[in-house]
Amino acid sequence: MTMSILVADDDPVIRRLFEKRLQDAGYTVKVAVDGIEAAGYLDRSHFDVIITDLVMPGDIGGIELLQIAKERDVLTEVIVITAHSSIDTAVAAMKKGASDYLEKPVNFDELFFRLDKIAQLRSLVRNADDLRNAMDVTESSAAQTIQDLEIAAAGFQLKLDRIDDILRKSSLSDYERIDKALQVINE
Amino acid sequence: MIKITPEELKTITKYIHDICGIHLDASKKYLLETRLSAIAEENGCGNYQELYLKAKRDARKTIEKQIIDAISTNETLFFRDTGPFELLQHKILPELIDARTPRSALMKTPIRIWSAASSTGQEIYSISIVLKELLGDTSKYSIKLLGTDISESAVTQASTGKYNKFEIERGLARDKLTKYFTMTGGFWKIKDEIRAMVNFRKLNLMLPFSGLGKFDIVFCRNVAIYFTLEDRKKLFNKIADTLEPDGYLIIGSTESLTGICPRFVPKRHLRSIFYQLK
Ligand SMILES: C[S@@+](CC[C@H](N)C(=O)[O-])C[C@H]1O[C@@H](n2cnc3c(N)ncnc32)[C@H](O)[C@@H]1O
Repeated sequence: MTMSILVADDDPVIRRLFEKRLQDAGYTVKVAVDGIEAAGYLDRSHFDVIITDLVMPGDIGGIELLQIAKERDVLTEVIVITAHSSIDTAVAAMKKGASDYLEKPVNFDELFFRLDKIAQLRSLVRNADDLRNAMDVTESSAAQTIQDLEIAAAGFQLKLDRIDDILRKSSLSDYERIDKALQVINE
Repeated sequence: MIKITPEELKTITKYIHDICGIHLDASKKYLLETRLSAIAEENGCGNYQELYLKAKRDARKTIEKQIIDAISTNETLFFRDTGPFELLQHKILPELIDARTPRSALMKTPIRIWSAASSTGQEIYSISIVLKELLGDTSKYSIKLLGTDISESAVTQASTGKYNKFEIERGLARDKLTKYFTMTGGFWKIKDEIRAMVNFRKLNLMLPFSGLGKFDIVFCRNVAIYFTLEDRKKLFNKIADTLEPDGYLIIGSTESLTGICPRFVPKRHLRSIFYQLK
């Protein structure tokens, strides 16, 4: 399963670099010139990972984009890119749910390592989800069967009780008892 | 990981049965090792025999609690299986309220519901949400909701009523989430009006139920599945004793009472089953 990645950065050189390196590595990549454009893309498509610069022009910076992305889908992983001088903001971003931060200039080996980890995690989550779904299906079909059996068993029990009553009725002849019991059985 | 010997396997499974009724057979060897190894190490025990002896001698029962928490499955979710909660809202509660509403308008309608293995509280809170949705103003009712579980840590979490995003997202519709929970410090917390409807306490279903009183509705779901047939029979017999003559019992969607408690008859409503006393 290839992961889809959205990159938001206002620097055209960095944007192109990200696009090329990520595409070469086999990811599906979309780039946005700022947070506003990125948020627009989020409206239309789903991304597994968002890589965003923390500081971008306009109303939607990295933190805001992170929040928008997490509101859409909590499972979207967000990696923030930060200048060395603003580690504090990066830490704040982590507290808001970013999965990682990378310092500028971006070391791509490091980025690929993080992306691999994210991919592994997602496949585990996916597996757990599949298992849960499979279990739900099994469980609800078992539940239906058990319900039917439960009601059927209760019905039989009721019949047995009635037959028991009939067979014990001393006011009836043997013939009448058998006849009545058979009637109950054949109902 | 510390390996368990066949002898220890016998000792430990018997011990677990004695403290909480959970029945484990030899096939659960690996489960025991993965769950108990860390507890053994933490308590300075090199093997499971030592852990067993230490747990038995421990007057404060700390190790016993750790073992119960490690072995029991607390898996639960809000509105699990949906069916029982629809049943509650559309059939059981209206019927019950009809039967219980007193002649005098001065008196309140009593409703007593017990979640007999409440785990971390999702079941009984789902029930209180149903009550709130159905009744609106609850001041005309005297509502007693009780959640009990053997696991102290589960009871503690249930009492705080705090859930993380994974616990909350499963089963709970968005509108109910925002209506009945508030977000605080990364957690969703049940609102006080719902929290105040429920009491929690620790209770081992294997022991006699003392001082519980009677209930109109009992939920005993997904706990008896861990017990032996004999223990299930005893359990549902005791539950029958705590139920009002016209009360309702709801068990797990894949559970059955056939051959377990002849005092109950199953009744079907739409796609769900509930039980009543004969
Ligand atoms: C799978 S949960 C079921 C929760 C909830 N009733 C539901 O159906 O979603 C099982 C719970 O049973 C509790 N339990 C196990 N043995 C018990 C015992 N002997 N007495 C009371 N509770 C017990 C466990 O601690 C656990 O919280």
